[in-house]
Amino acid sequence: MHVIIIGSGIAGVSFAEKFRSYSAGDEITLITRENDGYYSRPLLSRGFSMNDIEQSIILKTFDKLRASGININSGAEITAINRSDKTVAITGSSQEKSLHFDKLVIATGSSAFIPPPFRPYSELFYCLNSLVDLKALRKFRLGLLNQSRQPDWAIIGGGLIGCEVASDLAFSGDNVTLFHAMDRLMERQLVAEDSALLFDVLQNSGVKVLLDQNVQGFAKQENKVCVKTGVTTEFDALIVSCGFKPRTELAEQAGLEVGRGIKVNQYMQTSDEDIYALGDVAELPNGKLYAFILPIRSQAHWLAGFIAGKEKECWTPPVFTTRAKVHGFEAAHPYNV
Amino acid sequence: MSDYKKYQCGVCGHIYDEAEGDEETGIAPGTRWEDIPDDWRCPECGVEKSEYSLMV
Repeated sequence: MHVIIIGSGIAGVSFAEKFRSYSAGDEITLITRENDGYYSRPLLSRGFSMNDIEQSIILKTFDKLRASGININSGAEITAINRSDKTVAITGSSQEKSLHFDKLVIATGSSAFIPPPFRPYSELFYCLNSLVDLKALRKFRLGLLNQSRQPDWAIIGGGLIGCEVASDLAFSGDNVTLFHAMDRLMERQLVAEDSALLFDVLQNSGVKVLLDQNVQGFAKQENKVCVKTGVTTEFDALIVSCGFKPRTELAEQAGLEVGRGIKVNQYMQTSDEDIYALGDVAELPNGKLYAFILPIRSQAHWLAGFIAGKEKECWTPPVFTTRAKVHGFEAAHPYNV
Repeated sequence: MSDYKKYQCGVCGHIYDEAEGDEETGIAPGTRWEDIPDDWRCPECGVEKSEYSLMV
């Protein structure tokens, strides 16, 4: 049997390693657009305070994964899933243009969600959704520091990632203003009392937190970029952190059922029984998309067991929690995940 | 010994059990939490040792 996995994030790699350990005879090929190896996404938001981050973020190199018996096609993109002959079409560094699969696992994750009013200004802001994004941000920041300028940042979005990034930049000595549309921070995960505590922790660490902000758009002014609310404020750079958007395009083109994510049943199976989806691209029958590490690893390990014939019962979500990596912040109440 | 403790990563839920150590990152069974080097990282999500807390 040939199992192909698309994506080298926590879902794809956890699945590949577990399936390898269950099944010595089957061929496993993981196809990824990444070149840097298997890295830790949670560490992206510690990307400014840790100097050695570009190395230390790598959990496993692709060569290490290859040595464990997993074929890795890196720097490659899947351009189409052909369900009729069970192949995927590939472009990129790999020699093969088409590969046959018996089982396909889509673990493409998500990109940053950009609210429609911001889309015309994509040249003017950064996102922090991948190691490539982080490297670009670090390079920009270093450029300013080398001119003895401490960067002035605007973070748009006070959810989990926005708060973490604001905290890490301020912790690293930069000037940070955080714009949030709602009347309290991280309102999806925290109770009001903890939002208020988080507000104080961020303010005390030097982040200027602005709530109830209606950000209408951005503008370029010489070497500054401006955030337009009722007033216009200048910054060196902007980071938009307004949530995530599952990468469903391939599945959609292949005619699989798609909602916010790729629709799967309790067996992580899409509307095609030989194609599965895992991680934050997969939408369960209850409408949920799991975007945290513990449930994603649980899905991946479960699916490896299921395809290897060791698991009969369907996947059930484990009890889990998370924690925002904001320097000096400890919530008093459990997170709503 | 029965007084081995467990610590859990707050970010991903990984559990470090002193009794078992962590083979993959070269931590021998029986290694106490305080004896793990400060630059040790969560083997599953890569975050720092400070993100762990004692399980009660």
